[in-house]
Amino acid sequence: MNDNVLSVSELTGVIRHLLTEGIGDVSVSGEISNYKQHSSGHRYFSLKDDDAQIAGVMWKSRTLRFVPEDGMRVVVHGRLSVYPPQGRYQIDVTAMTPAGLGDLHLAFEALKRKLDAKGYFALARKRDLPTLPHVIGVITSKTGAAIQDVLSTIRLRFPIATVIVRPAMVQGDGAAEDVAQAIKEMQGSKAEVLIVGRGGGSIEDLWAFNTEVVADAIYHSEIPVISAVGHETDFTIADFVADVRAATPTAAAMLATPTPVAELLRVVDEYAMRMREAMVDTITELSDMTEEFLQGGRARRLTERIHLYMQRADDLEQRGLTSIRHAIDLMRHRVDHAVVLCTTLHPLAPLRRGFAMIERNGAVLNAASPLSIDDTITLRRAHDVSTATITSTTQQDITEITHGKED
Amino acid sequence: MAKKTDQPTIEQQLKRLEEIAMLLDAGDAPLDEQLRSYEEGMALAKQCREYLAAAELRITSISGDDASV
Repeated sequence: MNDNVLSVSELTGVIRHLLTEGIGDVSVSGEISNYKQHSSGHRYFSLKDDDAQIAGVMWKSRTLRFVPEDGMRVVVHGRLSVYPPQGRYQIDVTAMTPAGLGDLHLAFEALKRKLDAKGYFALARKRDLPTLPHVIGVITSKTGAAIQDVLSTIRLRFPIATVIVRPAMVQGDGAAEDVAQAIKEMQGSKAEVLIVGRGGGSIEDLWAFNTEVVADAIYHSEIPVISAVGHETDFTIADFVADVRAATPTAAAMLATPTPVAELLRVVDEYAMRMREAMVDTITELSDMTEEFLQGGRARRLTERIHLYMQRADDLEQRGLTSIRHAIDLMRHRVDHAVVLCTTLHPLAPLRRGFAMIERNGAVLNAASPLSIDDTITLRRAHDVSTATITSTTQQDITEITHGKED
Repeated sequence: MAKKTDQPTIEQQLKRLEEIAMLLDAGDAPLDEQLRSYEEGMALAKQCREYLAAAELRITSISGDDASV
């Protein structure tokens, strides 16, 4: 026996050191097999080619933008590691892309990083969309479902708008340039919000919306832009730059018309109802005041006085007492005066007769509202409005004035 | 392009409706002013309803060579 005997753990430690320090970071292409996503969210699989295979693990915390399947060719990036309990070496995968699309994905990630660094995606520059747009600009293919979805949604929700359609190539050579050009052309229109997009498709089909030229056009648009590219799971560079990202063209049309006409009709009805209720309240209040006046003491006492004077005048006349002719005339005069008083006591007449209405803080004061020293009041007369300050008040009931010297 | 008119926009009309509703809610304006505002408000509400109910989407197109079609 010699002294160089190692424990299993010690040997594993040496192997681990050789693998992680000696090889370290790797990019490997291969075919996925035995792919399993554990309930913990971590993914375990093997990567193989015709002659070899190697275990791979991709922790839950790593972002994976697609669902790998057995047999799929992928490129993984990661670091070699060792799992001592099973004496296994494996790749700790940090990123995985489908091999066939690797270039596009790399280009996408590179542009995304570049524009993010330039502040193109900053939340601070996202603009609010107009709540009641008069003109909505739409940039998409003249054919296809997207344009129909957008137009039918706007027609249904918000037919008071005008839609300006700028047909654009949304895929193929020159598509990116055409979409960018369309966004620039819209700047000269009356559009208050732009919908830019197309229906779903493969990453190649959507590529125009992953280009810098389109990102620039959206970034420089004076008009808020809603991106509507593909279906819910497809994010494009255009989505990141746009003020608002919609999952589908239909969703974009809904975002562009946040207050549908049905809602506006409800608002109008609500205002009409409020106005009607307020007017009914006001008229009811006036009518109550008139009723109160007519049933109140002042009117009744005046009527009683008129009747009394009339009766006394009639009595005197019937008795033929000519010597008191003068008394009769006096009595008639008092009756006439009382009648005039009565007719002029109509609730709306006082202002015309020189009386004033008193308001405090915009509200009319009735007799029961107390006034205090230094209160600022408004005197509203038939033809003018004045402001006054109370300097003194004395309690005095109105019946003392009208009745104090009776009979 | 849509024909340009001097019609108040729907926002302006809704704003006016709100002003009138507030004036009537307060209830402290002279009665005849309240009545005039009420008539104006009701006429405006009717006009808005008719406008909203009768609207038809206007679609215009600006040039572009959609070579994909």
